[in-house]
This record gives sequence, C-alpha cells and structure tokens, in this order.
Amino acid sequence: MKLIQLTVNGRRYDVPVDDDELLLDVLRDKIGAYSVREGCGVGACGACTVLVGGTSVSSCLARAVRYDGAELTTADGLPEDDAVVTAFVESRAMQCGYCIPGFVLMAHELLAENPQPDREQIVAHLEGNICRCGTYQEICRAVEVAAERRARA
Amino acid sequence: MTQTTPEPGVDTGVGSRRSRVGAAGKVLGQLRHVADRPHGGCAHVAVHRSTRPHARITSIDVSEAAALDGVEGVVTGADLYKVLGDRMFTGPAFSDQPPLAVDRVRYVGEPVVAVLARDVATAREAAELVYVEYEDLEPIYDVADALAERAFVHDALRPSVVFGDLRHLSGKTETNIAYQYNLKLGDPESAATQGTSVGFEFWAPPVHHVPIELPATIGWVEADRLELYSTTQTPSYVRQSVADMLGLPLSHVRIRVAPLGGSFGSKMYDRLEPLIAALAWLHRREVRMVASREEAFLLTTRHGAGVISSMSADADGNLTSAIADVRYDTGAYADVGPRITAKSGMIAAGPYKIPNVAIRSRCIYTNKPSAGPFRGFGVPQVTWSHETLIDELARARGEDPAGFRRRNLLREGDESYMGTVMHSADFVGCLDAVTEAIGWDKPLDRGSGRWRRGRGVAVGIKAVLTPTVANAVLQLNQDGSATLMISTVDMGQGSDTIMPQIVAEVLSMDAERIRVVAVDTDVTPYDTITAGSRSTYHTGNAVRGVAERMRERLVDLAAKRAGGSSRDLKLTADGVLNTASGEVYRISELIHEHFGARGATLTEEFNYTTSWQPYDKETGRSAKATEHWFAGAVAVQLLVDRWTGRVRVEHLVVAGDVGRAINPTLVEQQLAGSAIMGLGHALFDELVFDQGQMLNSTLLDYQLPSVKDLPGKLTPIIIESPHATGPFGAKGVGETGIIPIAPAVANAVRDAVGVRITRLPLSPERVLQAMDEAGVEK
Amino acid sequence: MKPPLHQPTSLAEACELLDTLEETMVYGGGTAIQILIKQGVLFAGNLVDLSRVPGLAEIEETAEGLRVGPMTTLRRMETSEVVRRRVPLAAQTYGHVANPRVRNTASVGGNIAHGDYRLDPPTALLVLGARVELTSVRGTRTVPIRDFFVDFQVTAVEPGELITALHIPAAPAGNSSTFVKMSSLGENDWPAASVAAQVDAERRTLRLGLGALAHVPRYVEVPLDGGGVDAAVAAATAAVEPELDPIPDVRGSADYKRKLGLVATEDAVRRAWEEAR
Repeated sequence: MKLIQLTVNGRRYDVPVDDDELLLDVLRDKIGAYSVREGCGVGACGACTVLVGGTSVSSCLARAVRYDGAELTTADGLPEDDAVVTAFVESRAMQCGYCIPGFVLMAHELLAENPQPDREQIVAHLEGNICRCGTYQEICRAVEVAAERRARA
Repeated sequence: MTQTTPEPGVDTGVGSRRSRVGAAGKVLGQLRHVADRPHGGCAHVAVHRSTRPHARITSIDVSEAAALDGVEGVVTGADLYKVLGDRMFTGPAFSDQPPLAVDRVRYVGEPVVAVLARDVATAREAAELVYVEYEDLEPIYDVADALAERAFVHDALRPSVVFGDLRHLSGKTETNIAYQYNLKLGDPESAATQGTSVGFEFWAPPVHHVPIELPATIGWVEADRLELYSTTQTPSYVRQSVADMLGLPLSHVRIRVAPLGGSFGSKMYDRLEPLIAALAWLHRREVRMVASREEAFLLTTRHGAGVISSMSADADGNLTSAIADVRYDTGAYADVGPRITAKSGMIAAGPYKIPNVAIRSRCIYTNKPSAGPFRGFGVPQVTWSHETLIDELARARGEDPAGFRRRNLLREGDESYMGTVMHSADFVGCLDAVTEAIGWDKPLDRGSGRWRRGRGVAVGIKAVLTPTVANAVLQLNQDGSATLMISTVDMGQGSDTIMPQIVAEVLSMDAERIRVVAVDTDVTPYDTITAGSRSTYHTGNAVRGVAERMRERLVDLAAKRAGGSSRDLKLTADGVLNTASGEVYRISELIHEHFGARGATLTEEFNYTTSWQPYDKETGRSAKATEHWFAGAVAVQLLVDRWTGRVRVEHLVVAGDVGRAINPTLVEQQLAGSAIMGLGHALFDELVFDQGQMLNSTLLDYQLPSVKDLPGKLTPIIIESPHATGPFGAKGVGETGIIPIAPAVANAVRDAVGVRITRLPLSPERVLQAMDEAGVEK
Repeated sequence: MKPPLHQPTSLAEACELLDTLEETMVYGGGTAIQILIKQGVLFAGNLVDLSRVPGLAEIEETAEGLRVGPMTTLRRMETSEVVRRRVPLAAQTYGHVANPRVRNTASVGGNIAHGDYRLDPPTALLVLGARVELTSVRGTRTVPIRDFFVDFQVTAVEPGELITALHIPAAPAGNSSTFVKMSSLGENDWPAASVAAQVDAERRTLRLGLGALAHVPRYVEVPLDGGGVDAAVAAATAAVEPELDPIPDVRGSADYKRKLGLVATEDAVRRAWEEAR
C-alpha cells in the first residue's frame, strides 16, 4: 500500500492504494465518485472517463498509484449550471443516462481544446464512447449547444 | 437549477414533451445504480467456469482455492443440490438451469464453482485455482448438430410450472427440441405451385444486448428474510423464482431495483439472482457479484435463428401462400425460448393477408450459452425472412416493393392468418410515412463508378406480451403531490417520466409533483415484467385506472363537504369545482379535512390484467393470441462501395404506430435508438463461436454502433392510430423500431448492386463476396 | 500472481532494474498492458514504470526532424504543432489510433514495443524511415524502424533494453503523404487494412507502410518511372500484393483483407498524389 494524494473536484483526498489498484475502483470505492462507471474494462466504451488536469483518461486502464498529486474532475463534481451539463439536459441527450457522464467529460475536453468544433470534430472526439440507447444525435447537438452557450458567455 | 420545472399552466399531461425525470441527475451521474451500493464488509463472488462445451464433471478439487488467504467459502453445484435439491433448477419456461452446474456442464463458460472472498481480486484468483476434471460428451455446436440427434443436451425436458400449455412436454427424452409451434391454414403447398414464388434459407446470428451497465446482484439476509438488490427488469418474477428455490414465502423475499443503465432484455428472469440468493441464504452473509463484461456476454444472448421459407403470389399480385421453417438456437438452457418460438413463429409470414400458411417454429437446445429475450423477442429474426421474401417476390413480378407490400398488408379489422383480428396496427400508415420521408417516388441518383446508391423498405409486426398483470397504487398526499407505486423498471425507456403524465392528465395536476417509487417488492405491487413493450399499455392502464379512482374519491370527498351529491362536481387544476356554484374545494383542504391531519395520504389501487386464448392444438391459430399489435416500417437510402463491400447509410427513416404518444420526445428517442441498435445487427454485430467457445466477448472485438456509425440522417416518425382500450389510446414502442431494420438495409443493398444476401450481418466481406459470386462489375 | 510495479526515478535506475529483475516488462502508458492483465494473458514477473523518470516525454526539434521521448502520448503526437509541421504524416496517423481518450494515455514507446501488427503508427514510421533508440546498462544503440518489427508481436528490443527515443526524419520538401485506414465492422474498430503512403517531390519513389496486412507491419518501396497516377497505382499494388499475408479473424478472411489491402493501397496512393498537385 502506498499513500497517494488525489484532488477530486477541488477536494483533497489522501488514499492508500495497492500498486495494481485501478483509478476507477479508487474513485468509486474510496471517494464515492459513482458517476465513474465500468462498462467494458478495456477503454472502449468511455463510461469510466475522468479528466486528469483537463485531459480525458479511461480510469479502467489507469493505475491509481501513477496519479499521485493529480487533479481530477468527475462528472458528479460539475456544477449544475455548467454549460455542457445544461446543454445535455435541454437537448434531451440521455435515455438510461448511464454513459452520459463520460460523454459530458469528453465534451468538456473537446471544448477546452476547440471552442467551436464542427460536427465532424465532435464525432471524432466522441468516437470512443458508446451510448447503447442510441442517443448520439441528441448528444452531438448538446455539444453544439454548449459551444454556442460558452461563446456567448 | 437546470431541472426543468414547467411554468404554471404548462401542460405536463398526456402528449406533452416534458423533460425526462431526473435528467440533470443522469447527466451529472448522480443517479445511483445497483453496483453503487457501498460494499465494505461484504463477500465478493467469483465463479469458476466450464472450459468444455459438453461434459460430465468427474471431480472438482477446491482445496487450493479454499486455502487462499481471504477466501471465505467455496461452493459447488453438488453443495447446492444437497440443500436445495431439484428446486435449484430455475427458468421462466423450463426449470432446467442450475446456478452452478451439477454433474454435467453444457456450455463453455457455464458456472461450475462459486468462491466467496473479501475482495473481487481474491475471489477471481481463487476461482482460477479450482481444478475440474471432465469426461467429454459429444458437443452440439449448432441446430444442425442438434437435429441430427446423435447426442442430447438434456436427458429429459423439464417445463416449469408457470405455463400450463408446456406441461405435456414434461419428462420427454431423446430430443433437443425444447418446444415446437405449428401453424397451418389452407393448403400452402398447392397454392405455391401457382403464380410466382420465391424461397431462401436465412440466418440471423446470435448477438448480444451489451447494456453499458454491467449486471449486478447483491444479496443479504435480515433475520429470516432474504433481500436482493439487483439489476433486473423482472423483480416480481425474481421474487417468485427465488422464493421457490429457497422454499420461502413470498413475504420473506424482497427484491429491490435501481434504475437500470440499459438492459434490452438482458437483465431478466434468472441471471445472477439465483446464485447470489442461494449463497446469501446459505452463508447468512451479504454477498455481491458484479459481472465483468466477458461474463455478461455469457449470461444470455439473442437467439441465432435459421429460417427456410418461401412466399407466393398470384397473377394479380395478391399473396397466396407462405411457408416457413424457423429454428431458434436456444443454447444450453431454454430460458424463455419456447415463448419466443411461438410468439415469433406465429407471425413468421409477416403482416400480410395470406390465405394459405404453414409455419413450423422450433426451439432447439445446443451446447452454447443460453439465449433469451432481446428487444424484439425473436421477431427480428423472422422479419429478416418475410421482408426479404416479399421484396424479392415484388421484384420477381416486376412490381414496386413498397406498392406490392401496400396491397397485401393487413388492415384494421382484418383477421390475420394466425387467427387474431387487427386493431390499432397501422402498417399502411407506417409504410406510407417512411416512403414519403425517404422520397421513394422521386428519381434516385444511382451513383457511378465505385459507389452505388439504393433504397429499401421493410415493414414489421409484433404482438405485445399477453396475458400479463399490472397493478398500480397511488397515494395522493395532503399537499396535493402524489406518490405512484408500480413495479415497472425504468431502464431508459422513460416509464418514470410517462406514468406521472398519465396521472397528471387524469387528475389535472402537474406531473412534476408526482414521484414514482423505485421498485421494491415489499412496497410496489406485482407486475408481470417490464418487457415486450407491454408497460405503456398494461401498467399505463393500471395507472390510469388508479388515477381515475382517485379522481372519484376526491369528488366524493368534495360532495361530502358540500353536503350533497357529486353532480356538478368536476376535478380541475385548482381543485374540485362545483360547476353550478363556481365554488372550488382545494385538494389540500379536502384531504386535511378528511383525516384531520396535515401530511396524510389518500390511497387507491387498481389492477389491469389481459387475457389470451391459447393456440389451437391442430392449427396453431388463436382468436386472441395477443392484446394488440405493434406496427412499424423502415426506409433506407444507402451507398455501397463496390470495391470494399462497405455500406454507408445516407438516410434512415423509422416509423412506429404507438396508438398515442404519451411523450413524443421519448417515443422518438426509442424509435431512433432502436434503429441504431438494429443498424448494428444489419451491418456488423455478431457473436462468433468456434467449437462452442465465444471468440469476441470483449468490446475490443464485439462491435457496437458508435457515433461514427450513425446514418447521415435519421428520421423517427410517430404514427398514432389510437388503441380503443389503451391509456388515452397509447401502447408501447420499445421494440417497434428495431424489427424491420436489417431487411430494409438488405433490400437497399439489393437495389444498389443487385445482390440478395440472406445471412446477417451484411459485413463488407459478405457484400463483396455476393457481388463476386453474382459477377457484378466493379 | 500480480507482477510488482517498480517506479524508478531516473533512467539509470530504470536500466538497472531491467538488468537485474526477472521477466521484466516496461510499463509506459499502460493501456495495452492493463488489457492483457484483464484478459489474463500478461506474462511478466516485474513491471518497470517509466512515469517517474524525468525527460522521457519531450518532443525535440532536431536538424533532421524530431526526437520524441517514449512517454510522449499518442495524442500529443496528433495535436502538437511541431509534429504537424515537421512530420504531418505522423501527426495524421497517430490521430487514428483507438480513440482520443486512449491516445491521451498510450505512449509512443509502448505503442511500438507492443509490436501489434494492426497498429497505425508503425505504417507512418516505416514510410518516414524512423529510428528507434534503445538503452540498457550496456549502453545505447539505434535500430532502424524498418528492422524493428521482427515477428508476430516480436520486436528488436532485447532483454534489459527500453526505448528511450524515436527519431523521425522530416520528409524532404515537396513530398506528400497520407494515411488510409479501413475497418470492416464498426467505423471505430481496429483496422482490417491500413496504408501510409508518401510520394517524393520528383515522383521517383513511393514509400508504403502496411498495417494489419501481415503478422508484422510491412514496408514497401516502389520505384516509379515517370508515369501518371494510374501507373503509380499499378506499380504500388503490384509491389504490395506479394507482401500481403493477413491473419484471418472476426474482421474478415485473409482473402478479404488482401483485397482490402489493395484498395487501401490504391486509395492512399491516389490521395497522396492528389495532395502533391
């Protein structure tokens, strides 16, 4: 066990972890960030997405011990008036909603890099996230709405 | 707050596009799911799985596993059998499935030994340390092997007590056919000798649901009661199944469910629940199992199905005959396969007027993971057959495939070949809507060189699950808010959003003030299942009924207060209005006065049950095989890359008759979402087996449609042909969209490059090979 | 058993660990290794994690092109201004691996050390004539990428060695290049065939890198004798055809992948040619 420090959504946590413990499990079981979810375990579905210093990471493939000192964002830590969150809600971009937190964080990363993405760029950035309910049209629209909203703000 | 709260006066009743309940919580990931239950101190379960498709277990050595630090217990099928006996075999149609294999394994990946340990890693490590010796039996890899009857998956058939019509199969030996359904009308063989006929052999492979939420079950014992917290669409079923297995009264088994992260049929009947219930009960311990993705693939699949079929028309272009031999590969355990076999078999000739029909539909055991329900309940597999046949028959006659279908489609009041009359199933309306939206009658630029363009259409029919039982309990709180208790599980289809709309419509209230209680069999009333697109109609009717009772109750209270009759009294948004005097009795006052207490509740309950008439033993026909039908249609325009065989869908239009859309946005999302899922089945989804071993059970190898696989344009269309007894004319929509997708795509490929493909999926290799075989010029 | 994770803080320490420990495996971004662990097919006694070794994630501009540290993420290769400017083919190709999230974690060194025949970046690196710098307690040596992929999931990395840099020469002025990836199932799937192509300014030589079309990534150099694009396509497909030896799997038969490889070759050559105009 090693003691590592994680800052999750602005709050500091000192957590003991095993070498092989996944960031996914640490966030869920030790910090209670249940918006981070295992869907495939191989980085292919995006349900376990977190942002590390603003960069998206599949927490199911990440060993927690390598993230000592990192600043993490999980979807449950976003404010309700966040432009991406409100855009998803208003665009009706969810059915069961299980995968949506991952899409929200991918959208955040994209808009930070590219504030006015076109549809093709949105699709390219979201290609590694699976919405099995098939809500992709609404999700793409939500990202466009969020971009417009951030541009106006 | 981003949660949309409608302005006063904004309608949230039937027909409104109110926002999905808990939308912001879903987006933020705050909605809790089953696996989110904290698990400090519980035992984690892992299972050792069979490496053989079909073998006798000769010995099991668990000593190394049991000795591993952190292991609390190791349990074999024989251990369970000692305690539970034959009760350990469960299943919705046949009681053939053990939670752990006893004496014999029947598929690669079947659970053989369960390990309980302090954490998941230890449990999985210990499971690897179990050593099982087998004596191989002849494996049955597919339906052809099974029908050769050289070996048998089960020594004797074991129908469950649930379905009376399966009783005669009990104890039947030397067969791999779990169930057979036959339909016979007229003389199809002779009819087929006249006019034009087409016939093919079809195959739709097994596929997987892959909801992104993994199946999870947690069980514990409180005093003498067993509690399960589980990802299931069928809490009432699971309660019965587990109570039967453990010999407990229903009152001593409690099933709780959180909203599901998708399911599509995968999380129903007996999945992880029997094993976890048995382990929790025997070990008096909180035990927990969250399936890995690889394990989830093994829990259930969609039936692979072969259909050998033909269809004939006379010189006037009227259908005269249809023949279909349907074979569902149900894997090692029947699950609900026998039901699928009949329900889908009975409409295997499509939604058409056909005077002569013969159908044989069989549910066949093989040594593969058990196949069970999947969005569409076996119907997409037979639709693949009839919508290909009718398309080819139209072409053989030189007719437009849409016009040919239109002439032969069943209409309101028609008795179908399987004996039931059509109502609220607007096939023609659906077909017309999709052909118009795709521009069917407009000239098509067919492309040149490498890329060729084509259009295709297909129609779908499916019966709603019948008979079923629904109950609703409504509590109207003194402050005018309400709590609705139903056992419908919201898994993304939106029942928690639309059921309050029905109540709101009846009681003239704001749906935002109505809360649906999460399913808890201690609290929420019996409901057959959340599946088969049945809930909007069945549970919706129970909800409408209970709301109407509540309305009468309020009017009665107002009448009592007014000291007279209920004449002239009417419930409005403001309260009960005396239309004669203009006086208004507010609900909060009525309830307060009635009980003399703040915060009191008025409670009402309502039951809605449908009935059916079993199939005639000789003909397979029934005057009421189902409460009602779902009608849908799909039109597709696509491009085919003649060099690679790759298909690119430019426009997909999907229409479904929902009777009445309670919430049109949610209906459109169900239509579009099922179309996208169906597109995966059409183009690339497929579980690949080699000698019984599943080869692609990870999301690196099993393909699901991503945002990159979307059609260029996707248009969902709602058709409303009101159902006479539906709640406000409504019925379900969860499956309608998926049913005709694959044949519509294949028909468009046929249109584009002239090849007819009868095996799914239409992978580029298959398309290219078909073009090569047909000598299509590149 | 779980292999322990060692976290050296200097290159010397990393080399020392690789030299002294049994059955070592270098842990870079970890994306591939974690998947192998999950699937129970990772055979390593000790993992040596490079994430705490300073200086391994730099991209330096050199006279000939770029020197890229092994811990540089694939996503930086895709988005970095200097990579886009000096070796646009590399930036384009790195941008096709898996998905953006995996590219954020997966490393340049791990990507080639993995030696998977289907990976995209080797196709571009083969075309560009990259060199792999390998370091161990014995010193440093450089292996041309065209000699790096030895056999199915076998590379030129010797026991005790780790990749310490990738040297990528910038293509000479006037050349043009592209990368074509063809999947047979979902659009986002692994490739069933991929081809990187580069044509030089004088149109004398076509350089092709093939992915997923044999048990190792393959390099093919095609001399041109001054014809037009059709002649170049004919020469390219003729040169590529004997190199095709694909592995059949759920994505297609060997025969189909061979056909797809030829179409990908043609597409890549035509697109590169177009860009050159």
